[in-house]
Amino acid sequence: MNSSRTAWLLLSPTIFILVIVGLVPFLYVLYVGFFNWMPLGKIKDMQFISLGYNYRELMFDEYFIGSIWRSIKFSIVTLLFELSIGFILALSLLSSFPLKAFFRSVHTLPLVIAPIVVGAIFKLFLVNGLGPVPYLAKEFFDFKFNYMSSENFAFWVLVIMDVWHWTPFVTLTLLAGLSALPEDPYESAKIDGANNFQIFIHITIPMLIPVLVVVVFIRLMDSLKIVDEVWMLTGGGPGYGTRYTGIHIWKEVFEKRSYGYGSAMSILYLYITIVICWFLYSVMVSRGKVDED
Amino acid sequence: MVKIVKGAITLLLGLGLTFSAVYAGGNSAWWKKAGAPYKGAVLQGIAENTPPGQFAGEVLAKEFESLTGIKVRLENTSWDQMYDKAIKDMEANSGIYDFVYIEQDIVYSYLDRDFLVNITQSLADNPNLVAPHVNMNDFTTFIDYFKDAKGDVFGIPMEAFLKVYLYRKDLFGAADAKSGFQKKFGYALAPATSFAQWRDNAEFFTAYCAEKGMECWGTTVQGHTGHPASTYEFLESVGPSFGLYNWGVTDDFHSCVAGGGSLNGGRAKGALSFWTSMLEFAPPEALQSTWSEVASTFAAGRAAQGWVYGENAAWIASNKEKSLVVGKVGVMQPPTGPGVLTQAASGNGYIGYFDGGAYGIPHSSKNKEATLLWLQFVAQSEVQADWAAAGGRITHYSTYNDPKIKEMDQVADGYFTLMQNTGYLYAGAPMFPFHGAGRAAIDPFIYAALAGEKSPSEALDGACKALDKVMKDLGYQK
Repeated sequence: MNSSRTAWLLLSPTIFILVIVGLVPFLYVLYVGFFNWMPLGKIKDMQFISLGYNYRELMFDEYFIGSIWRSIKFSIVTLLFELSIGFILALSLLSSFPLKAFFRSVHTLPLVIAPIVVGAIFKLFLVNGLGPVPYLAKEFFDFKFNYMSSENFAFWVLVIMDVWHWTPFVTLTLLAGLSALPEDPYESAKIDGANNFQIFIHITIPMLIPVLVVVVFIRLMDSLKIVDEVWMLTGGGPGYGTRYTGIHIWKEVFEKRSYGYGSAMSILYLYITIVICWFLYSVMVSRGKVDED
Repeated sequence: MVKIVKGAITLLLGLGLTFSAVYAGGNSAWWKKAGAPYKGAVLQGIAENTPPGQFAGEVLAKEFESLTGIKVRLENTSWDQMYDKAIKDMEANSGIYDFVYIEQDIVYSYLDRDFLVNITQSLADNPNLVAPHVNMNDFTTFIDYFKDAKGDVFGIPMEAFLKVYLYRKDLFGAADAKSGFQKKFGYALAPATSFAQWRDNAEFFTAYCAEKGMECWGTTVQGHTGHPASTYEFLESVGPSFGLYNWGVTDDFHSCVAGGGSLNGGRAKGALSFWTSMLEFAPPEALQSTWSEVASTFAAGRAAQGWVYGENAAWIASNKEKSLVVGKVGVMQPPTGPGVLTQAASGNGYIGYFDGGAYGIPHSSKNKEATLLWLQFVAQSEVQADWAAAGGRITHYSTYNDPKIKEMDQVADGYFTLMQNTGYLYAGAPMFPFHGAGRAAIDPFIYAALAGEKSPSEALDGACKALDKVMKDLGYQK
């Protein structure tokens, strides 16, 4: 009893801070989401129209729904690339090769760069008239590199940027997981005559599920709420092309000053993100290899 | 030796005092006395990082501090951040900033939301703070944008300029260019006075530069497909020059033709079609260009002609450290569509944007009195000439006659004369309290038109519906 009370006492400062900076703002946003609040309008105060009015409007808001689909598409594509490349790199780093330590250090550098700076770096590299990439593309391939000229082009440039930035996280996490795997199942499999591919599919992957779940969830949540890099590189354009939900909400709240509607968007998007993550978790857990403790 | 040193010190002191005295308007004693109660105060301001803003922060602020002992810290930052930080501070009443930059187009929103201190009233309430030598009547009519219905001032203009047509005198004057153009188009090469001529010039010089292996193109286009700069170029420059005024919004807040507006009318669509068609002859960075990049593009010699904000015209024409086209820049009034000039001259329209901004005091400022002194300091007629030379902006009538500006005018191909004589043809943004929200609604459609994802017609049909929805949601449209 005493130790339980002591534990709560020691945890209380952290809980207090989390409540102040996390729970209270969340509850406030939840509250504001039920009101119509547009300081740029004729009525500047918060107005209660009807329960769930903003949420009902959101269900038919093609721009909001469009931003969600774009965000999901971006998240899935980047996740697939990051997992694939990260896995390959992690497996490579398990073995010895010259300058391995140097490579591991350099490979990890993008992780320590702030997202907005990553966006700025890519912008400087890719801007026409100044950046080296468009110049080299024209010089050597006679190709007009202009990522703001089409939604598709901008999308793939953002994917490359995100993969460059976050693959090291996937690599390091998977490397840690791979390094911690027990040797016995591998030895037994080899004795039973399994080849490398069979070992990878039937032993490595299943044993790595807990680590994969962590990596997938962290990257999924991060990519679904991406703002900084995209803001810096494309501003959400061209058109609505890279206007992912985070940017859409930012523009709704800080450009249009539509606080009630923007708050409802944030809450609804949080709910959608939780549903997506829960669905993914259920799928991965249903493989039957996760210790659910 | 001692004599020489004493002489040097005396000279330096004299120069310093003279310099201070010039900027003090010969009223150093007044500034020192007025600033005494606030000595040691630190005024925090935020503005856009432009040449005029840099001059204010790096020169005027230092002079003010040396006279009054009041320190001014001016945070010159990007356009987006300036808005974001200033508005958030004023909304939250956090009192971070003592003065904020008020862009001409956002002043109506700030006034509507009662963000700003009434400067006229404040000075009336604090006669001891009124600088007797500051002549408010010397301000041009640009100050009217920062007044309320009663005529009280809420912002002290610190920059005002036109968005003008710049062209490369060396390219237009080249003998082979003249003969080549005449041969191709059947009339003499000249800076554009019509949009058809603009197009011909753009087409010609894109090919001309490519043939000669020069890194230049026919025209600038401020066409960033993810930044409001492109929307502004359309709404404030291209549109009005085609006859699209006040965003095509009626007095009862309808923008679509179906409701009596004209944002998706013939003139608007003509304007957007012309402008997007110029991308073919623009440098590759056009789709990533805001006003800053357009200025850099022109200064780097990468365009034969273009719409350029006046705050940049001066340094492009004269600053050898930053511009590769010093001495080669021509300045003209932009072309206009049929009837537009007549409408503008009669006060029923305008041909382009009279841009600029002011410094205002948020209600949340903790140093209002000291800031009133700062605003009056920058309002002095004596500081305007150097400021205008540095920043290509004029806010006072007397500045036009200053010898420095007359000399600068020669270098800038008559830009200041153009502003003085034709400024009345230009206008600021419409009086929309919902300016930011309305523009944000239009943005994606302009971006899509520039990226070729939508035709100009589709883009404006969508833009007017989005704008109408915003005006309805905000309670303006019934």
